[in-house]
Amino acid sequence: MDFNIRRKSTRTAISGSLIETYPHDLQMYKVPPTENITLQEFENLALERLTLLRTLATATTLKGLRLYSDEFTDFILSELKNNGLKYYVKLCEKSGCGSLETDLQARRKDHIAHFILRLAYCRTEDLRRWFITRELELFRMRFITMKAEALDAFFKINNLYYTNISDEEKSDIIINLRESTQHQNIEHMKFYKVKFYEVLDLVRSRKVFIKGGYAYIPHKDFISVLTAQYRTHLRQSLAIASQHLKEIEQDERIVCLLKGLHQSYSGNDYSDSKVVVPIESLDSLSLKSFPLCMRQLHEQLRLAHHLKHGGRLQYGLFLKGIGVTLEDSLRFWREEFTKIMEIDKFEKQYAYNVRYNYGKEGSKKNYSPFNCLKIINNNVGPGECHGCPFRHSDSSNLKNKLKGYGFEPQGISDVVDMAKKGHYQIACSKYFDLVHGTSIGLGINHPNQFYEESQKLQKGDIKIEPKKEVKNHSTKVEQTDLEDIDFDENLIKI
Amino acid sequence: MVGQYDENLLSDMLPIYYAKLFPQNVFCRWLSCGNYPQPLGNRELSFTLSDDVYLRYLSINNQKELQTLFQKKCPYKLDIGAVYNTKPSIGRHDSIILARELVFDIDLTDYDEVRTCCKEAKVCGKCWKFMVIACEIIHTALRDDFGFQNILWVFSGRRGIHCWVSDHEARTLDSPGRSAIADYMCLITGGENQNKKVNLGNDNLHSSIRRAINIIEKYFKELLEDQEFLSTTERLSTFLKIIPDETLRHQIEKVLDKMPTSSLQRWESFVDIYNNYCKENVTAIRKMKHLIEEIMIQYCYPRLDINVTKGFNHLLKSPFSIHPKTGKVSIVFKPEFARDIKLDEVPTIYTLLDDASPENAQHQTNMRTAVKNFQEVVFSLEKTEALRRKKYGGNSMEF
Ligand code: SF4
Ligand SMILES: [Zn+2]
Repeated sequence: MDFNIRRKSTRTAISGSLIETYPHDLQMYKVPPTENITLQEFENLALERLTLLRTLATATTLKGLRLYSDEFTDFILSELKNNGLKYYVKLCEKSGCGSLETDLQARRKDHIAHFILRLAYCRTEDLRRWFITRELELFRMRFITMKAEALDAFFKINNLYYTNISDEEKSDIIINLRESTQHQNIEHMKFYKVKFYEVLDLVRSRKVFIKGGYAYIPHKDFISVLTAQYRTHLRQSLAIASQHLKEIEQDERIVCLLKGLHQSYSGNDYSDSKVVVPIESLDSLSLKSFPLCMRQLHEQLRLAHHLKHGGRLQYGLFLKGIGVTLEDSLRFWREEFTKIMEIDKFEKQYAYNVRYNYGKEGSKKNYSPFNCLKIINNNVGPGECHGCPFRHSDSSNLKNKLKGYGFEPQGISDVVDMAKKGHYQIACSKYFDLVHGTSIGLGINHPNQFYEESQKLQKGDIKIEPKKEVKNHSTKVEQTDLEDIDFDENLIKI
Repeated sequence: MVGQYDENLLSDMLPIYYAKLFPQNVFCRWLSCGNYPQPLGNRELSFTLSDDVYLRYLSINNQKELQTLFQKKCPYKLDIGAVYNTKPSIGRHDSIILARELVFDIDLTDYDEVRTCCKEAKVCGKCWKFMVIACEIIHTALRDDFGFQNILWVFSGRRGIHCWVSDHEARTLDSPGRSAIADYMCLITGGENQNKKVNLGNDNLHSSIRRAINIIEKYFKELLEDQEFLSTTERLSTFLKIIPDETLRHQIEKVLDKMPTSSLQRWESFVDIYNNYCKENVTAIRKMKHLIEEIMIQYCYPRLDINVTKGFNHLLKSPFSIHPKTGKVSIVFKPEFARDIKLDEVPTIYTLLDDASPENAQHQTNMRTAVKNFQEVVFSLEKTEALRRKKYGGNSMEF
């Protein structure tokens, strides 16, 4: 499992061979990827898969959806769509074995991303368990939604050859099959014989007839065989990966990224805050706790009394996420904007947008603050100053800005170096350390996470009032703790 | 009769027992077979000495070393552990468990909430029947469902039985596999605060459960009479608490309370009332379709110590070890004859070594039978192992 990270993509695999490498939407990830990818793609793929896995966790634990039910699958798909993860929607909706370029690219991303997360999640037993549970859920969900015609192909590709038992043998044990199989109408099903230890989940729950060491399963139950194999394979691979971490982690950029991943943002959307932050404290907060992207938006607003749409959106949602109420937010924007325009104009043209952000207008959706991925990949046009400063600034501008803030030269050049190499989030992490005089090396994935980590560090420094009423009934629970919940992978059942 | 022997004599008698009566040869062959392809020396043995000193990570390379170790340490109790990749030792933290028989431990103390004849360490012919049922149910499941052939049954020396499955597949089964088998067999769950401890749902009964019920049925009347499950007010109230439907419970209570105390008659009335009730209440049957079976299971089904089965390195008392408190030998028995075991005919170290004892002759015979039973299992294990190795060509399939 060696990832060669290059700044510029020097992909060796070409589409012609992609179809051989990736014949099917559903993979068992037996062979690690060998191609070279850019660090940027590495990061993106990792975060996108993390989003997917966390969505799975959310579906069962926070939404309380029954595993693999229609509602469950619908939820996953709609979340993936919301996050713009089209290729995962494609892979999860109806696995097949198409051969379009988009099919192949989706599988390639799926493949690489899976292996990147192995590296991030092989570190401790808890992480391994979490990861295995999620990947198994994903696998099962995709197997269940697979197109019928793709099923045979899947078995063939993975060398899963089983022959069904004869009608005679079946009729000998038909009573037992009827008693002990979890399905109705077994008369019309073909049955297969597998060793009992290949379907332990069915054995454990007495949902299969076993005789002489063999379990008799219909086609439908093959998912048990596959998940058992896949689980064993994952367990072993993660154990091996954890032993080889040192070799992989010789590259500091990857260390930083991988370590950050599992504790990083991607699932929490910060759309509701537990505290109320008064706008009077924003000036001081922007110095102490805002990530650079927000700090520069704040400064720009104070300076120019105006922000363009992209900036208002990025900053406005961030403010909502840290706990600025709608009323305060309206006041905040109004105060600034009316320094250069009539109040009428503000109310007509801008107030709507503020309320919109809070889900009070338009589709009334409770919008989430943008994460780094989105911010970094945003287009920033002329006259706009949103986006990620590490990505969307020239080195000299960045350096000057940091100098202006009074940081020491060595720290500044560390940050600027990382940004130059394209490691924006690592640069952001170094900036975090610069501001706080620490060397934590946090993995940053979300501006609001930056803010919260900062607040944790300086607890008590600012005045925070507990929020009095929960406004939105679709309140999101803090999801950063998700991975602390004890998921028992053994409990996975159809 | 245990009392007539002096525990202090043990330290003098044990060396003689180990040298003359303990089936050292078969024992070593059994372990060697179970160790394959690891050498005998990679198996952990552990001794409990006279002063309760517990020695772990002992090992032997051959029968001669076993005899020497026996004479040197004179263990009051002998336990068997797992097979490691190296010679077991306390200092080694890198040793890995490679194999271990699949084991089951059933102890009558776990039946204290249902058995009425004895409590705790005590055991009599009446409560031994619980062990007979357990043995039959587990043995059948291991043989018919899982296809295991080399199954050794051992009397624990006091109030329970142990089962050792030596088939290669069982020995090398990983812990998820072990725990799945344990869960497959375990039907009684729930603690002090749960009255109804068996829930079979509303679907068809799984074949293995139906088979277990059939086995229990063979003994159930006997047990009702022996144990008088329903004969006192207290027992009756415990019984009534299991019934989930309040109306039905009251009906049953009213009738059973006024009846003669015979548990068998009370049980039969209960079954009648239940059946009638279900006929009249179609919805009721949906909630407690298998109530009769559930109660039978709660009273009679094997109560496994599943942690012993799930664990890989749980030490378990060796066959032919002496129980230090009773002096009884942990004899190997054939499951089909479990019924015939009379607890006072189980040989003790005292009677075996005392020519003058009136039980001596009988106990000698029973000891010989036990050794023969052991031999049979070990010989058949050796045969299957040889076949298996031939089939898979040496050690290519191993670990
Ligand atoms: S990395 Fe994220 S938090 Fe840091 S500046 Fe860029 S967008 Fe803001
Ligand atoms: Zn008794």
